[in-house]
Amino acid sequence: MEHDQSTRSAGIRRRALLGTLVTVLALPGLSGCAAGASPVATGSAAPADTSVSSPPAAAAPVPSVPVHDAAMLPKAPKPPAPPRFLTVEGTTIAVDVVSVGVRADHAMQIPDSFGQAGWYRFGAAPGAAHGTAVIAAHVDTLTDLAPFSQLRHLRHGAAIKVQRRGAPPVVYRVADVALQPKDRFDGRKLFRRDGPHQLRLITCGGKWLDDRQDYSDNVVVTALPE
Amino acid sequence: MRNRIIAISAAAFAASFGLALPAQAAQDDAQLSVLHGVPDLTVDVWVNGQRTLDDFTPGSLAGPLELPAGSYSVAVTASDAASADDAVIGPVDLKLAANGNYTAVAHLDAGGKPTATLYTNDMSAIPAGKGKLTVRHTAAAPAVDILAGGTPVIQNLTNPDGKTLTLDPGTVPASVAAAGTTKAVLGPADVPVAEGSNTIVYAWGSLDDNNLAVAVQTIKGLQSDPNAVPGGRSGAAADDDSTAAIAGGAGAALLLAAAGGWVLRRRTVAARNR
Repeated sequence: MEHDQSTRSAGIRRRALLGTLVTVLALPGLSGCAAGASPVATGSAAPADTSVSSPPAAAAPVPSVPVHDAAMLPKAPKPPAPPRFLTVEGTTIAVDVVSVGVRADHAMQIPDSFGQAGWYRFGAAPGAAHGTAVIAAHVDTLTDLAPFSQLRHLRHGAAIKVQRRGAPPVVYRVADVALQPKDRFDGRKLFRRDGPHQLRLITCGGKWLDDRQDYSDNVVVTALPE
Repeated sequence: MRNRIIAISAAAFAASFGLALPAQAAQDDAQLSVLHGVPDLTVDVWVNGQRTLDDFTPGSLAGPLELPAGSYSVAVTASDAASADDAVIGPVDLKLAANGNYTAVAHLDAGGKPTATLYTNDMSAIPAGKGKLTVRHTAAAPAVDILAGGTPVIQNLTNPDGKTLTLDPGTVPASVAAAGTTKAVLGPADVPVAEGSNTIVYAWGSLDDNNLAVAVQTIKGLQSDPNAVPGGRSGAAADDDSTAAIAGGAGAALLLAAAGGWVLRRRTVAARNR
């Protein structure tokens, strides 16, 4: 990497005149990691001496190093249309959806109201292009069952409809229903921010552990956009 | 003119660092951004003796570049200098560690002399639901306070130091004042602080020359996820042994499951009321 800087520099300049596509092709030969340029690179770079006046190949898709004006304060991103109401086919689940964050102990906030579920507002929103939209609610009240107690019995393919504020509803189909032990809670996976878009409905389930005053598991429904 | 052509060729930029094309980037490469914070001076940036950024203008941020760990000699010259020999800044050696995230800033020191500072960006996870605001003093100016809505939140910050706050996401109406005062010499400006991101604000320029300015770099993807989804309150929905016994064994439990939530609800509540 250190050797022969001047030669390499001259080579880069010459090839740069050809435009970025040729530059990319020529790089394996320049970086010194092989015995020489590959036949393709050599062939492409060969016309360098005769094409000094050629315009650069403007449309060539190359990896780019961004240079931007940092003097402009970035605008806060436009917030997505938040979910407002959730219904699940084949159940009596018909709940308001409110935006929630995290509690002081870093657990997800869950609305107390029987008829409400919470959408994790720092993750993807229903209808997003990427990432996981998470909506969670209690499985019970202090004395009774709550609507999300029906989650663990959802059929594959059941429709989940999310109505949104200021945007059309989005419909998902249940792809998976799982009991996940709280002992092995995997927040990174459950709340995944990138990758294909999906909806997760989460509540509690399994056994009630008196010593913890908590359920043993989370019920996790994964649903894919229709 | 030929040097401009180098500048528009991103691949050449990467090539001058060795073999740092993103497609070839190794898992443990360092990431380097370069910020130009010297007023009124268009420069070229040389790395290991090669012109790497051509006609780099004040307030511009380049990168991040993914680079193999190692030491890089960086010099800043007047634009279109013939070589790196006549540097206005440097040459300085930047040591980049594997997986490190850095911002090299060409800026003025407190007395107004061009210098360069390599900042190491903290890539540790930000607590769930929070964002970070980092302020770096790279201006020809004495110690400053950073005010949020008129209240000092960072005090006595001197060139080239930086300080980081962990905040609830939102917009901070930030301004810069001489230390111990509240009269803004820069700002106020609305600085966004996003959950899981570090918004790094550089104060640059010169107080005496009346050209103080801000530059902003945002590092995303530092979020933490919630550590639990506490969706239970009483055990009313518990799927425990007594429930199964009441239901009459496994077969009935399956039947119960098939019948849906309503039946489950009645059985479970009955079990708990027993």
